[in-house]
Amino acid sequence: MKKLFILFMVLALPVSGVSGNTTLASASTTEHENGNPALILAATDDAGNDETFVDPDDLEDEDLPWLDDEDEELDVWDPLETINRGTFWFNDKLYFYLLKPVAKGYRWIMPDPLMLGVGNFFSNLASPVRIINAGLQGKFADAGNELTRFGVNTTIGIGGLFDTAKDHFNLKKKEEDTGQTLGFYGIGPGPYLVLPFFGPSSFRDGLGLLADSRMDLTYYLWEDTDYWAAIVLKTVNTVALDKDTYEGIKKDALDPYLFVRDAWTQYRQNKVEN
Amino acid sequence: MLKRLFLILAAGITLTVANIASADASPTDTVRGSVDSILTLLQDKELDQATRRKEMRKVINGRFDFRAMSQRTLATNWKKASKEQQQEFVQLFSQLIENTYIGRVEAYTDEKVDYPGEKVKGTLILTATADIPINYKVYQKTNGEWWVYDVIIEGISLISNYRSSYQEIVKKEGFDGLIAKMKSKIKELESQPT
Repeated sequence: MKKLFILFMVLALPVSGVSGNTTLASASTTEHENGNPALILAATDDAGNDETFVDPDDLEDEDLPWLDDEDEELDVWDPLETINRGTFWFNDKLYFYLLKPVAKGYRWIMPDPLMLGVGNFFSNLASPVRIINAGLQGKFADAGNELTRFGVNTTIGIGGLFDTAKDHFNLKKKEEDTGQTLGFYGIGPGPYLVLPFFGPSSFRDGLGLLADSRMDLTYYLWEDTDYWAAIVLKTVNTVALDKDTYEGIKKDALDPYLFVRDAWTQYRQNKVEN
Repeated sequence: MLKRLFLILAAGITLTVANIASADASPTDTVRGSVDSILTLLQDKELDQATRRKEMRKVINGRFDFRAMSQRTLATNWKKASKEQQQEFVQLFSQLIENTYIGRVEAYTDEKVDYPGEKVKGTLILTATADIPINYKVYQKTNGEWWVYDVIIEGISLISNYRSSYQEIVKKEGFDGLIAKMKSKIKELESQPT
C-alpha cells in the first residue's frame, strides 16, 4: 500500500519514473564463465569465489523463434521530444537541487509514522477522484469499496491519518483517475508530454490531472497560498517517503528520458486496461 | 560469520535442489526457490552489501535466461547482429538487467511474498505479490527447466522497456553506439560508491 502509493506518486509527481534504487552497490566486474550454475554455485559456496555465471545455454542456444511474436511493440508517440527533453531536464534539476534537499531535511525532522500519516491523509482526501472515476467506468464494486474506505478512514482512521480500511478490514485502495476513465472510453493518450513540476504525462492524462485536482478535496479545503502550501507538503512528503526511485533510474538507464517515457507509457496502458 | 556461511549455503542448496528437481518442479516452485533465496539474502542484515549483491547475482544467473531476454530486447536488430555481437550484447545486458532487477527487488519487496498463482497465457506468467505485484514470465527449456525471460512490475515489462529505448539508440547511433553506451554505463556503475 505504502509502496504502491510511492510508486504511483513517483510516476505522477515531479520528475517521476519507475523504481530502481540508490542503494545499488558498485557492481564488481562480472567475469562470466560457462558452466552449470547449480554445480558452480555449490562449489563457490565453499571457496567463496567471486564469479557470477551465465548459463552456457545462454551463449550457445539457438534463437527462440516464438519470442519474436510474443508481444506487440510498445507504441510511443513523442512528436514533442525536443521540448519534452527540455522539460525533463528542468524537472531533473528541480528534483536534485530543490525538492530532494528539502525532502531530506523534512525526513530528518519527521518521524516515520507521521510521514505515513501525512501520506494517508492526502490520499484519503483524494478519495472522490477514485470513487467518481470508478463509477464513471461502471466499476461499481470498486466505487463502493473506495466509498467505504473513505468513510472508515475519515472516521475510525482519524481524518484519514490511518489507513484503517486496509489495515483492519482488508479494503485495498485501487487507483482510478480521469485519464484512466478517458482511456476506458477509447480515448488514446495522444502525444507524450512531460509537464513541468508534474513529470511524465500525455495530452489525455494531463487533462485528466486537471480534472482530478478538482475532484480532490484538498482543492476545497484550502484556498490560494494555503492550497499550494498543502500541495507542496504533499509532494515533499511523498518524496521523503520514496526510496530514491528516480536516482535509481538515472543510475541504471542508458537514457533516463527514454526509460521514464517508456515505463510511464506501459504503466498507464496497464492502468487503463485494469 | 558462521550464520552467514549457513545462509549462503542454504541459498545455494535451495537453488541446486531446484535445478536438479526442475524436471518435476512446477514453475512456481522454481521461481519461488530463486526469489526466496534473494529475499533471504536481502533480510540478512549481517551481509555487507557487496557480498549480498554477489550472492544475488549468482541466484539470478541461475534463473534468468539472459539470451532470451537479449533476443527479445533487440528484436529485429538481434537478427542483424553477428554471433559475436550477440554474445557481447548478452554479456553486457545481463549485467545491466541484474542491477536494475536487484534495485527494484530491494526497493519494493517486503518480507512477505505471496505466490497467488500461475496463469497460462501463451506462456506462463507467475505472480509473486509483495506490496507490488511482480510477474515473472517463464518458459520451459528442452531439458525441462523453467527459466525467466521477463519481469513485469506494476504492468511495466522490463524487457519491453529496454526494447523500445534500445531500439531508439540503435536507430540513432547504430549497434556499435549502443554497445559503447552499455559499456560506459557499466563502468560508471562499477566506479560509483554505494
